[in-house]
Parts: sequence; structure tokens; C-alpha cells
Amino acid sequence: MDALWVLLPAGQRASGEWIDDTLRRRAVEAGLRARTPLAARFPRQRVEVVRAADPVQEVSALFEARGWTDGLPIVPPTLGRVQALCAATARDGDETLGEVEPLRGVATVEKVAANAVMAGCGPEHFPIVLAAVEAVLDPAFNLRGVQTTDENVAPLVIVSGPAAARAGVNAGVGALGPGWRGNAAIGRAVRLVMQNLGGGWPGAVSLAGLGQPARYTLCVAEREDGPWPPLRVELGYRAEQSTVTVLRAETVVNVTGGLAELASVMGSAASAFTMRYEGKVAVVVAPFVARRLAAAGWSKDDVKRHLHADARVPVADWARWWLRAAAPEWPPWVRQAEASGALPVVRSPDDITVVVAGADLAIPQLAYFPSWGFPPCRVTREIPG
Amino acid sequence: MAEEAGVPSVSLTCEGFLGQAATTATGLGLPGLPVAVVPGHVDVQTPDELRDNVLSVTLDAVVEGLTQAREVVAELDEPSPGDVVFEGTPDEINRFFYENGWGDGLPIVPPTEARVREFLRFTDRDADEELGVLLPDRRSATVRTVAINGVMAGCRPEYMPVLLALIEAMADPRYGVEHSGNTPGAETLIVVNGPIVRQLGFNYQQGALRDGFQANTSIGRFWRLYLRNVAGFLPHRADKGTFGNTWRVALAENEEALARIGWPTLAQEAGVPPGESAVTISRFTGGTVLASVFGTTPEQMIPYLADGIARLVAWEVIFTVGMAVGAQRPLLVLSPILAQTLARAGLGKRDVQLRLFDHARIPARKFERYIGEWTNLAPGRPSLADLVARGRAAPHFAESSDPERLVPVVARPEDIMLAVSGDPLRTNAYVFAHNGILGFPTTKPVRLPPDFRGLLAAAAGR
Repeated sequence: MDALWVLLPAGQRASGEWIDDTLRRRAVEAGLRARTPLAARFPRQRVEVVRAADPVQEVSALFEARGWTDGLPIVPPTLGRVQALCAATARDGDETLGEVEPLRGVATVEKVAANAVMAGCGPEHFPIVLAAVEAVLDPAFNLRGVQTTDENVAPLVIVSGPAAARAGVNAGVGALGPGWRGNAAIGRAVRLVMQNLGGGWPGAVSLAGLGQPARYTLCVAEREDGPWPPLRVELGYRAEQSTVTVLRAETVVNVTGGLAELASVMGSAASAFTMRYEGKVAVVVAPFVARRLAAAGWSKDDVKRHLHADARVPVADWARWWLRAAAPEWPPWVRQAEASGALPVVRSPDDITVVVAGADLAIPQLAYFPSWGFPPCRVTREIPG
Repeated sequence: MAEEAGVPSVSLTCEGFLGQAATTATGLGLPGLPVAVVPGHVDVQTPDELRDNVLSVTLDAVVEGLTQAREVVAELDEPSPGDVVFEGTPDEINRFFYENGWGDGLPIVPPTEARVREFLRFTDRDADEELGVLLPDRRSATVRTVAINGVMAGCRPEYMPVLLALIEAMADPRYGVEHSGNTPGAETLIVVNGPIVRQLGFNYQQGALRDGFQANTSIGRFWRLYLRNVAGFLPHRADKGTFGNTWRVALAENEEALARIGWPTLAQEAGVPPGESAVTISRFTGGTVLASVFGTTPEQMIPYLADGIARLVAWEVIFTVGMAVGAQRPLLVLSPILAQTLARAGLGKRDVQLRLFDHARIPARKFERYIGEWTNLAPGRPSLADLVARGRAAPHFAESSDPERLVPVVARPEDIMLAVSGDPLRTNAYVFAHNGILGFPTTKPVRLPPDFRGLLAAAAGR
């Protein structure tokens, strides 16, 4: 029998309590015992030794039964792998990034590393994971809301700068799709941290009615060869720095065409929660579209101003929305625009984040990420190194 | 206190202490106790900075803590007594214990069922008997966990009665184990007295505080392992010692030397009858050797010894006056030849204490700086005269208003503890600075099981 020395990725509160005891009760109440038959059944310590003929498979199966996976097999968070990740940062393993809402497991560097290993991260990804976790722990991100709402929101992780290429985070062909470990593992690590340290177990604590594929991973890098200043420079960082920016994405909508089609999609019920909460949205623009706009003399700000002006919801449509009736309180600027017959979807052009990514092909592709929840948020953290 | 009286409270906590606050609150039976953070540390902030920090950050947290519903926190789920938590090779066991935070970094002796059983033979107490409940983790200190940590520390089974006495002392409220994670990081010194010193082979002669003797060394290590594994004092968590230091080797007194000069042992001074064994624990912030004490008379020797005591005491005088009057208990360890020289001049222990009290003095001006200007440990920077007027200092601290007048560093002569140990023929002494109420001297008798001698003889044959 072979043995694996694995770090337990579960959330422990500052008071010493493990959040899994709460999660087990919630799962039982929710009738989800079958999904996590071994919830809260683990030794209350830092490290466990798992012995089996196939210990990798055993750890994966055990962790799934304890509720610590997203349903896919995980990489065992062995001491060696976790230490390799911790060595990729200047921070101490015991250092605390904060408490992860809503059940407030303490996100130590080591606990985040254990979850990142499970997600498939290597040391090269870890500085980005840490920055992303710090960003979602910012009170402005409202992680408690994101984790517990019955809406389907997921963190959108945007990597901007030289760190993206170093960590193999794809900004090119298929940037929102499968095939690149950086995108796959970093987004998944954030999800596992939310789930295992914050307690966002689907159905038990996270009540997202449908969920969405972005809850497995939603991590994209920004192309460095776009025609406009990159996001990090817009946000005041230097070009040679790297950043992670997180937004609350209600969903991902693919749009084929140019700004007119994008504005049409934005000015629809897809933006209902964005308008309700004065949200900040994101737009991914394929390089083909971006270059064509830039060639026509459009700056990024022009694009934002245009979308702000053009993406309008007819008041007649808005008046029929379910959310309109369910939530009587709407922001003043929405109310004020009622008289004009059409409603903007964001309060100001600055509430639209524009990022260039995707294949360098002659295809007019865009993606729209409406937002969910309050307060308005776009949180950025620098990636050290 | 307010919480126990049913009054909602919020605790103000400096940024670096949030984790400790959460742990301590749970240990006190008040899980989820609201805490309001004060950014940074108050000691290095100007009044304006502190005011800004409190108004911009702390105040909101105070309001929130007093107005929001408190969460119910579940009890911790831990292995049951006697559970086998791991099976593996000695190397694997060591790694497993270390990785889970159950070791001090040195290899441990695996606490197997057989080894623990062997330790339990040296007590007639039930393995599940509770010796006390230890903060901050509020874990029950049982006879069994004493044996387990004794095995791990490298003790021999026959040390068990001493280990039990130590944990009874640790659990005594007078000692104040809950303070063991305070930032000065003082370390406990164990003093062993009575026949057990020779029975268990403690070193009490040359190199008395040096490692190399199993009883002194492993029992010192046991103390710190128990603080870690049962009380819950782990560095980076509830143990906030800024520097800390390693555990101290246990000190055994040279009782033959004491008997020859007719001085009581430390234990006897604490009321333990002659012929019985005892342990005394006390936390000391530091210590230093007083080398080459020269002279043939007390008049020649006492000033240097007293100077050593006064020299080592600084902010600790907050336990002499003010916060906890008379809780400051420095320990002077004399080598036997020094004790004999003082005794030859007709001095008993009490006489030595009186003379040390007269000489271990510092200018009042300096005393006031220690507690006010330099450390801010006496809020409002009261003068010694203020403290005397408020009943927070003995009258002799304000015999005049001369700032250069000499005042003692302890409240009473008997607050200076004296022990005799070390190289019998070298004229050196050792002085320890005390941590006051945060580890007050506490003595417990060592209770032996029936037929301890028979058990000892059998153990010696193994």
C-alpha cells in the first residue's frame, strides 16, 4: 500500500471550529446526504495520511465524499505539492488573507495552496490565485452575497500583464474555453476556496437555482497586443506590473457582430440585476473587432461611452420584467430615465470594463458579462513578482 | 466579565491579536464574542493617529458587534481519549505528529498504548481523572494526556508523579496559565524539591540548568509540549510571544547543601513538609548569570547579588506596584558555596532576603520611567507617590519626593525567592526576572503511588 501525506483543505475558523460540522447539518437538512456521505467525517488535524493501493484515486474519492470537490477528480494536496506552491510566494504559510464568507474559514496561504493544488495549479499559478482570493475577500466583492444568493453569479477573474503569459493563462484562441491549465486551474482554485473555506456548498449554503458552467472556472487573460491601453494601465498600474481583477458575473453571453449587436444584448433582460444594483459589467472584445474600432479612431473610452449610450432597455420591456415587479426600489438614475422611454443598463460608461481577448481571426466575436449584486464592484489586486 | 453578567460587550483588539482573541473567546466559553479591531498597535501611534484609527475603523465594528445577532458556534470535534490516531514507522509517526503541530520540532517518542500504560503504572489515579481545564483551548487536562505527553517528551515512566504535580500546578488559577501566550514570551522554570530529586536522578550540581540529564531535560520539554498540545499555546496562534525562547531545563535544588546550613528549601517555604517532594513553577522573562561573586562577608557579596536583581528588572516593576502589587517575584539561585559563605556569617534565608531588599534598588525617577514614560504600562503615568496614595504601592515607595531616592524593585523582602543549586564549588549565581501575575509561583506536592520504591526498583531493572 502506498501512502500520501495530504493537507486537509477544509475551512477552520479562527476559533478552531471546522465549518464542515455546520455544512453537514445544512446538507442533511437539504436532503443532500447522498452527495456528501462523509461530510465532516475526517480527522481534525492539519495533515492526514491516506494509504491505499491507488492512493491518488483514494484521496480523490474520499475528498469527493467529504464534499471538498466540484465533482471532478482532484489532485491530492500532498505536503510536497503544497509546499512547492507556498515556496512560489514570499508569504508565510501561516499568513492569513482573511476569513471566507459566509462560514468564515480562515484563508491562510497554506489552506489556499491546498485548494489550489486540488484544482490543478502549479507553483507558477499560485501568485495569481492568492491575488484573486484576496480580491474576492475584499468587502466590496460581497462574497457572502455571492455565496448564498439564489442567483447564479460567479467570479470573473481577469489577468492582465506579463504574469498571465508566465503562468500560461490563455488570452488567445478559446480564451474562455477549455484547453489551458492556467485558466482552468486558477478559476477552479478560487471556486474550491469559496466552497471549502467559505462553505459555499451547492444546495446546502449556495442556493444558486441553476448555477452556471462559470462556477467551475471563469478566468481569462487580456491580450497584450490589443490596440488600447490594457486594463491594468487604465486602473493606474504600470504596464510592467500584473494584476488580477474580479467582477461578479451573472453569466457569460456570446455576441456575434459588433457594438450594435453587443448593445442590443446589453439592453435586454440579461441586464436586469445590473440595473437593479447599479452593477459593473465586463465586455470581452475579440482582437479583430478591437482593431477595426481602433482603426476607425475609437478609443476604449469611446467604446464605453458608445455602449452606455446605445445599450438601452425600452421602458415598455422593463415595465413587464419580473424583477421590476419583485423589487420595487430602483436606483434614481433608472427612475429618472423612465421618462426618456429607454433605460441605460449601467450608471456611467466607467461601469463597463473592456478587455481584448480571443482568437486573432477575422471573426466578430464579443462576450458580455452582466453583473449581480451590490455594492458596485470591480476589485483589483497586484500580482507580486 | 460583562458577558458573564449578561451584558453584551465588544472587545477592542489590536490588529495582530485577532486570531488569539477568537481562540481565547472560545476557550472562555464565549464563542463568537464580538471583537473590534484597532489597526496596527496602539503603542506606536500618536494620539491623533489612534483617534483616526478608532473613528474610521474601530467604532463601526463596536456598533456592529453590539447590534448584530451572534452566531452559535459548535463544540470542537476531537479524537477520544485512548484513540489510536496513527499507525506507521517511527519516522512516519514523527513526521505525522510534527506536521499536525503536535511536536516541538525535535523527534518525539511515539506515545504507543504500551508506553502510555507503563506511565500509568506510576500513578494510582484513574487515567480519565481530570486535573483541571486549561485555557485557551479549554481542554480537559487528564492523567492520560499527561502520560502521553510525558512519553513524547522522552520522560521515563517513573517521572509520572512529577508530571502530574506539574499539570496540577499549571491548572491552578493562581499560576494563570491563560497568560502563557503573552507577548514578552516568558518561559516557565520548574523547581524540583524533596527526595524525588535523588530518586529520579535530577542533576542539581554542576551544570544544573544544562541539558544532558534525562529528568531535568525531558521534564522541561514535557511542560512545553503540554502547553502546546493540551492548553493550546501554538506559536502563530494563541502563543503571541514576540520572541519566546525554548523551554527551560528543570532546576533541582541541592537539598544536602541546604540542610547543612539549615536553610529551608523553596518548597518548604511554600509549606511543603520536610521529607516530601514538590514542584514549584514560575514564569520568568529572562535570566542572567552573576559571575565571580567575590568576598568573604555578606557586606562584600550582597551588593553585587542585589545589583544583579535590580539590573534585570525593568518593565516588570509593573507587578511590584500598580497592576498587581507584590506579584513581582525574582528568583536568585545561589551556588552552594555562596549560600554557605552567607550562612557562615549567621544569615538565614530571611536575613539574606532583607539585605537583598535593602540593596536591590533603583532611583524612583527610573522606576517611574519604566512603568510610565518608556512602556506606558501605567496609564496616565502616575508617580510612585500617586500610586502610594491610591493604595497601589507600599508606603516605602514614597518616603520622600526626591526623584533620586532609591526604591526597591520588589514590594517586600520575601518576594525575592532564593534557591541553591549549581556547581557546589564555584562562586556564581543566577538571577531570573519574573513575569508577575502572568505565571505566579505555584507549588504542588508530588503525590507518590503506593510502593513507589518497589516500582522504581522494578523500573531500574528494565
